[in-house]
Amino acid sequence: MRVFKYYTRTNVNYMVEVFAVASGKGGTGKTTSTLALGMALATEYDVTVIDTDTGMANMLFHTGLSDTETTLHEVLGGQAAVDEAIYERFGMDVIPCGTSLAGFREADPTRLREVVATVAGGTDVILLDSAATLGTRSAVLPIVLADRIVIVLQPTVPSISDGLKVQEYAKTYGTDVAGVLFNRVTEDENIDTVATKAQRYFDGQTLAKVPESEKVRAARRASKPLLAHAAESAAAAAYREAAGELTVRDADSTAVADRFRNAVIPDES
Amino acid sequence: MNLPQGELIRRRVLEDAGTVLRTAFERELTGFARLESQDTLLLDADGVGVLTFEDGIPVAAYHTGTDAAGTEAVTDIGSTGPYRLELYELDGEITEQIHGDERLRVPPALPAQQLSGETELVDQIRERAPETWQETASDTSLDAVEQFLDDEQKVEAIRDHARTEAQSRADEWNFPTDQT
Repeated sequence: MRVFKYYTRTNVNYMVEVFAVASGKGGTGKTTSTLALGMALATEYDVTVIDTDTGMANMLFHTGLSDTETTLHEVLGGQAAVDEAIYERFGMDVIPCGTSLAGFREADPTRLREVVATVAGGTDVILLDSAATLGTRSAVLPIVLADRIVIVLQPTVPSISDGLKVQEYAKTYGTDVAGVLFNRVTEDENIDTVATKAQRYFDGQTLAKVPESEKVRAARRASKPLLAHAAESAAAAAYREAAGELTVRDADSTAVADRFRNAVIPDES
Repeated sequence: MNLPQGELIRRRVLEDAGTVLRTAFERELTGFARLESQDTLLLDADGVGVLTFEDGIPVAAYHTGTDAAGTEAVTDIGSTGPYRLELYELDGEITEQIHGDERLRVPPALPAQQLSGETELVDQIRERAPETWQETASDTSLDAVEQFLDDEQKVEAIRDHARTEAQSRADEWNFPTDQT
């Protein structure tokens, strides 16, 4: 545990923006993308990444935190304070989520807004790694809470189709789209044409086209984010490019914290 | 595409059509998968996607709701999950007749590329597929994606449906929306 920055940064208006990294479908590389964008943004901003996929958490495996006892589950279950679940890793503050079924059962997803509100006081950028489904209330909640979403797509029909659904959900809940990120792109795919055609339907911009890479799997095996394990890879460069395209909007952190605390979401699910 | 019933070997509801391809490939199935969309508001309510296999390799595709065949049928299957899946085994002689119809044929790896995005499965199918099959249709993997993106009506239908669904869930889940 460490001294929580929230208590040291209360008298100045800091900017903070909350992004949900989302895709309606699994396997698109959301966690890899969240951590890669986080690390790239961390060269300029104070970044906090939160694994909000409470049912299928995996960020802890990507960040060497698999033995961690206190995670978002415990915070959402009311057994730990937020600062107890924050870990400084790879230049970011990481809030992993546990993988136990008991932890999932005891977690109250609506407490997430309080977590985000608390963290908002001491960071510039919050990235929420979202669940790969739109089927439950807790899976959609990060998209509702975020200012903007980054949609991670594979260049396949089901993935793009699900990405369109995510976008419409976000817009319905008043969340903007920062852009789309094509991931796991293979060499034989005419990705430029696809990206151009897809751009007609998606808000925001095409942030990057990240090539499929063995380095991504190797990073996962090494329990490290891609940018820590293979910083010189083409995939890492593409993520840095994507982060460069994301202009973080200024917002008063106190106002943001208040917004989350006052979000019109009842506590009973 | 007229298919006899065949022997049912699997029936389940699944989110990802890629699972069908993986199962058929691993079982080296000769037969077909019947993928019935659970989303009756999209396309035709009776729309059923059919993918046929020979020794686990995808050969032909058809969609009963849109009457699309071949690559286009794969696109229609891809945009309408989750599915109720039924996997059937058929006598090789029967599938041979269907597979003679060039209109229905798809490049062997295309359904895996489009429906699963699993590069490992795509490579495995390519490796196992007979060379002559690879030549029967142009193996441009993104054709189906481009066709999908060119079909504005279909894309708009998906967006409209998602908006309606998001709004109705907002009411159900008590989420604030731009409209409330």
